[in-house]
Amino acid sequence: MEPGETACVVTEAESAGLNTIEYNITRFVQILRRLGVRVSLAETVDAVSALAGIDLLDKSRVRAALKACLAKSRREAGIFDQAYGLFFTTPEEKARRRQQYREARAERDRLINTAERELMEVVEEWQRDLPEKIVLTEQQLETFSLMPESGKERMKEILDRMKSNPVNNPGELINRVLQSSLNYWRYYMMKNAAGGGKAGTLPEEGSTGDEEMDEVIRSVDAHFYHHPGDRILHRDMESLDDSDIPRMTSLISHMSSQLALGISRRYKRSAGTAAVDIRRTVRRNIRYGGVPIELRYRARRRKRPRFLLICDVSASMARHARFVLQFIYGLNSALGGLESFIFSEDLERTTEFFSKNRNFARSMTDMINGSRQWGKSTNLHESLKTFLRHYGDKLTPDTVVFIVSDARTVAPEAAAGLLRDIKLKCADIIWLNTLPRREWEQKAPVKLFCGLADMYECSTLSQLEKALRRHVFKYA
Amino acid sequence: MDLNLDELKRAMEKEGYVSEDDLAVTVYLALTLKKPLLVEGAPGVGKTEIAKVLGRVFDTEVIRLQCYEGLDENKALYEWNYQRQLLKIQILKDSCPHEDIEKDLFDEEYLLERPLLKAIRSDRRVVLLIDEVDKVDEPFEAFLFELLSDFQVSIPELGTLEARQIPIVVLTSNGDRELSDGLKRRCVYLYIDYPDIDKEVRILQMKVPEAGERLNRQIAAAVNYIRSNLDLRKQPSIAESLDWARALVALHADVLTVENLTRTVNLLLKNRDDRLQVLDGGVLDEIMRHALGEKAGEKGHTHCHCHGNLPASSN
Ligand SMILES: Nc1ncnc2c1ncn2[C@@H]1O[C@H](COP(=O)(O)OP(=O)(O)O)[C@@H](O)[C@H]1O
Ligand SMILES: [Mg+2]
Repeated sequence: MEPGETACVVTEAESAGLNTIEYNITRFVQILRRLGVRVSLAETVDAVSALAGIDLLDKSRVRAALKACLAKSRREAGIFDQAYGLFFTTPEEKARRRQQYREARAERDRLINTAERELMEVVEEWQRDLPEKIVLTEQQLETFSLMPESGKERMKEILDRMKSNPVNNPGELINRVLQSSLNYWRYYMMKNAAGGGKAGTLPEEGSTGDEEMDEVIRSVDAHFYHHPGDRILHRDMESLDDSDIPRMTSLISHMSSQLALGISRRYKRSAGTAAVDIRRTVRRNIRYGGVPIELRYRARRRKRPRFLLICDVSASMARHARFVLQFIYGLNSALGGLESFIFSEDLERTTEFFSKNRNFARSMTDMINGSRQWGKSTNLHESLKTFLRHYGDKLTPDTVVFIVSDARTVAPEAAAGLLRDIKLKCADIIWLNTLPRREWEQKAPVKLFCGLADMYECSTLSQLEKALRRHVFKYA
Repeated sequence: MDLNLDELKRAMEKEGYVSEDDLAVTVYLALTLKKPLLVEGAPGVGKTEIAKVLGRVFDTEVIRLQCYEGLDENKALYEWNYQRQLLKIQILKDSCPHEDIEKDLFDEEYLLERPLLKAIRSDRRVVLLIDEVDKVDEPFEAFLFELLSDFQVSIPELGTLEARQIPIVVLTSNGDRELSDGLKRRCVYLYIDYPDIDKEVRILQMKVPEAGERLNRQIAAAVNYIRSNLDLRKQPSIAESLDWARALVALHADVLTVENLTRTVNLLLKNRDDRLQVLDGGVLDEIMRHALGEKAGEKGHTHCHCHGNLPASSN
């Protein structure tokens, strides 16, 4: 929308009485929703009624009243505070920020165009005899433009050198190299931006189509994750800094032992003989003068299920895998008899590394040293074939299979076929996907596997904990 | 009952609860919108105390349901008094057909009220404190959610019992587990963080005035420094600051020193590793520097006599 146009719409809205408290609250709620705060209609109504008893001229009380009705966790309260300050501010401030953003946007377009020109120059030769042209996304081009000069030069050099290597299908090869090294750089830069505060240069896509609201959403996105406590819990594990690892490790050990404690208690209560239901027993035995001749029992809980873990440890998963394994290792004491496997090109059984009384760091080192799978590329089909051939008997109708993977694999169709076989032999397949949900849509294998397993996003520690809690307790 | 916001804030202070504007506004909304108040925060930041103070402010009973893993409806809502039922059966067994006995047995007379039922059957508006609700399991949470939505319970043998008075409901959670969206939506929400130095000084002054303002300020500054700069297993909460202040008073301390800190540190920090971390020479110096105020350095480490006007120390 052009600036002139926006002004028109705003004046129109104001004269139609739209610049009311209700109108602004509704817009603000839309912003919160975009930022991942779940606000229901009832809560919006609460927020409006809350203001009835508050002096509207007292700004800090108005803010507190809205917050009490709209933000329902510490994380949401943090997002609320940031968004509130940005949304309920003077028109001059808003205009200034808008101008700033427009300039930044223009600059970004310029950088992207330059990057595209630079890269296409190098790959032009192939482009000519290729049926399919190389297509890079705006995000990838942006990544290239933000890379340090030395990185750009090296990348161009590598591409250049590949020209002299005779291969069957140079187009596909070069495309793969280009895509994967740009993706690598993106992660690398995000990782380094995490602490430094430059993360704002790599914004998320997605817009409400309303410039004023988008403005607020963008600003909060960029700032929110700098809150030190929340960063680790809610940030993609892949992009955590090395310096975060000790904190992450102690956080995981805390969270997993909490969860393990809950699970053990639950099992303890449901184990043993069924309890007598006194109310029903009394009732039943009135005819015998209250002498409990016929006992009535409470319904027995379901039998304890068995859990089986299959974890992807290929290159794209290396960092995630470490954290996920540590988490599950923490649960092992409560789950007992957990079967675990790791895979990339092929699959290996790792159950014995997780036996009780073993030190996690030691187990991890032993596992990495003793395995041929760590950091390779992914072949889920081959891995599941090995699984079914050698360990198929571990599947029983009360086994819950957890698969942890980003679903980036060769031969996804063939893998899906085997997954279908597995599903027939077990209670359930839960897929914990370390890829952020917003990227699922573009990935065909993800969609394919979604139909066969219950898939949950688990790119952050908080999501991992939630998914495990939900499922382990559900079956407990 | 009809307090306005400022009156409520003052009344809570009068009953010994220090509250800032945000907190008072949220409590006020829970009362006026007649919604449950959900308070989250680390242990010892003053969640449970809110319910107790509201009981005093409105001069009414506080009925507490302490939650724990495995809590069920029999312990939270009601149970039949089996002993009395059995006695009654014994008395009537020869004189009455058993269909009639059954009708008599499941009468309100034999009902044992547990906290939830007691709170909604009470003739006065009480405060219902559902403490540490994150400890219960999900099915019980769902049951609570229903109860808090319509304030009635159905007892198979008796039918539906409705609330005589909608109680003032305060739920607390240490955040061990995230509560369901449904429950959170029903509630007005308050997150209590550790207090800043000024608030903690006010709490200390209210609860341990005998320590004196100067020592209380030093305590608050030291605790604040520890919370924001050390990575501890268990952060000291307000409850621990209060214990620490009382211990220092018992030693007749009027200023904080390395010596009296060392002797009382086990009241502030319950974990052994945490204590070792704090007692490390360099760390101890930093704590003292913050506790006595930056200005202490300029004055050559003598006591500073600025009464309660130390700068809120920077982190
Ligand atoms: N704002 C406050 N004003 C006065 N005392 C407080 C305040 N916050 C906490 N306290 C004191 O701190 C101690 C711990 O509070 P409590 O409510 O039991 O913590 P929680 O329920 O959050 O674990 C209590 O002795 C309480 O009196
Ligand atoms: Mg408490």
